[in-house]
Amino acid sequence: MKVKLIYSREVVEKPILANVVLRAGVPINILEARVNAQKGELIVSILADEDKIKEVLNLFREAGVQVQEFAETLRIDWDKCIACGACVSPCPTGALRFKEDWSIKFDDEKCIACKICVTACPVRAISIP
Amino acid sequence: MIDEEEKLRTISEINEKIKRGDVVVLTAEEMIKLVESSGLEVAAKEVDVVTTGTFGAMCSSGVFLNFGHSDPPIKMTRCWLNDVPVYKGLAAVDGYLGASSISETRGIEYGGGHVIEDLVSGKEVVLRAESYGTDCYPRRHIETVITIDDLNQAVLVNPRNCYQRYDAATNSSDRVLYTYMGTLLPNYGNVTFSGAGQLNPLCKDPNYETIGFGTRIFLGGGIGYIVGEGTQHSPESGYGTLMVKGDLKQMSSRYLRGASFHRYGPTLYVGIGIPIPIINIRVAKSAAMKDDEIFVNIRDFAVPSRPDLRPVVKRVSYAELRSGKVYLGDKSVPSSSLSSYKMAREISEVLKKWISEGMFLLTEPLEPLPRKGRLKPLEIKRRELKVGDIMSRNVIMAKPTDDVKSAAAKIIEKGIDHLPVIDDEGKLIGIVTSWDLAKAIAYNKSRLEEIMTRKVITAFENESIDVVVRRMAQHNISGVPVVDRMNRVIGILTTDDISRKIVGGRNVI
Repeated sequence: MKVKLIYSREVVEKPILANVVLRAGVPINILEARVNAQKGELIVSILADEDKIKEVLNLFREAGVQVQEFAETLRIDWDKCIACGACVSPCPTGALRFKEDWSIKFDDEKCIACKICVTACPVRAISIP
Repeated sequence: MIDEEEKLRTISEINEKIKRGDVVVLTAEEMIKLVESSGLEVAAKEVDVVTTGTFGAMCSSGVFLNFGHSDPPIKMTRCWLNDVPVYKGLAAVDGYLGASSISETRGIEYGGGHVIEDLVSGKEVVLRAESYGTDCYPRRHIETVITIDDLNQAVLVNPRNCYQRYDAATNSSDRVLYTYMGTLLPNYGNVTFSGAGQLNPLCKDPNYETIGFGTRIFLGGGIGYIVGEGTQHSPESGYGTLMVKGDLKQMSSRYLRGASFHRYGPTLYVGIGIPIPIINIRVAKSAAMKDDEIFVNIRDFAVPSRPDLRPVVKRVSYAELRSGKVYLGDKSVPSSSLSSYKMAREISEVLKKWISEGMFLLTEPLEPLPRKGRLKPLEIKRRELKVGDIMSRNVIMAKPTDDVKSAAAKIIEKGIDHLPVIDDEGKLIGIVTSWDLAKAIAYNKSRLEEIMTRKVITAFENESIDVVVRRMAQHNISGVPVVDRMNRVIGILTTDDISRKIVGGRNVI
């Protein structure tokens, strides 16, 4: 599951994510991070079952972090896609890859909606709704 | 010792087998596997034809069109299809629509390649044309709607397709580059490449023993012909190309796709497949060449030089490129193609099917492709303006410890906008403009080092003005210090210098 974690000025300097990982014992993958002295925003992927994810999200909330579901993702028009691969190497998270048969595979979980693929696609098959 | 040139079969013998229905056809991928499992000689004896395929962006593509005469008729001197200009230096109603021609209303998002795809798909396209009117062709304006069925002829004639191999691209600079090799991330962030490697037609017959003038091919889903070597054919360096033609009316939009590279422009993805008759062992061997035997250069697109002068970062095989990561030094860099291997494979399979089912006969080339020749660059014979020609050499400069007030005074007294900041050795370490001085007031700073811009965009004395003007526009700045190789300031070039000193109506943007 992907969520956006918003750290306010009061909590931005605390090692909250590390504490949550230690307490819940769940790996959390940071997909994108924008942190400065005023504010922090992380997009993370939590690899666990539903109950565990609930626990993790509660730990973040208790620590004063705002949790938002991260639903932004790509829309790919597979009829337009020619499987050229122009989107594959620019993708920073490996969300767009080749399958065994050289068609393109999109992994929703890994996508951070950075949009680099939208312009990289020469046949404009990718959009963000 | 095997005699590589010993004749195994002739093209007419192969065609007899095609007609009888017992021809043995393999795709290039299948041929590779057979040679690996049974050896070259067995494969060469068994296999009559190997099919190849490629599906990539080929900008030098286009279509000759004949619109037919309206009544009253028009001698079209300017013509557009869906607002994309059609070349009209031909007879009254003949035109040539190039794949990279740009829409006058939609810009580089839509171009000739898209119009070609629309025509092939049977869509309606708006035809608009103008003329000056003659006694025999009195009409001066026309606007109507056409489909491909309305055209007398629509002949795809592509001056350069089907590169034997193509150099790969990367980017050493600190910004994203948008190129004809796709999106190149900063700091060697990725590598892009083009071409189907082990499926690529010309790679499978690099001596041009079977491919030549008149060779019948799969083109855009229909049947086409090689009409000669392509432009920029450079066989001695292993970069051969083809000129091809075929009837657009028989083609399919599955294998002809309009495309546009972001901030580069429109193009056409073209599907081409060429049959390789296995006439001798040498051809069998090259037809079984694998990705790890076909090499190209990775070039650095951060250097704004002509293609063959962009620095080679590494020489790699298609196998390494296709593996998804390339090592540049000790850094693992993601790599991916711009041409579709999946479609290339599909084309080789379709062509195999056509031949196996007796729908496609092979042709004897009338003449081989030229095996000699190299690419020539375009020399600029007229004197071109360089940065050194128009920069100001008398540069007012400052030290990082100078106070803001004296810097402001300097800028006013000397009537300048840019104040380069240098260290004790004369090396450039920053720049101050009136904007930076505004910062000093806003944040109450007193020394230049506290407010100067440290990341300075610079130019060299021997750079062309065009390149530097583009750099200034990209960074939205109005002046660049000119430095030597030691980063010492030797001059300054401002938009003011450019507008005052360049005369003769040259368009500098």
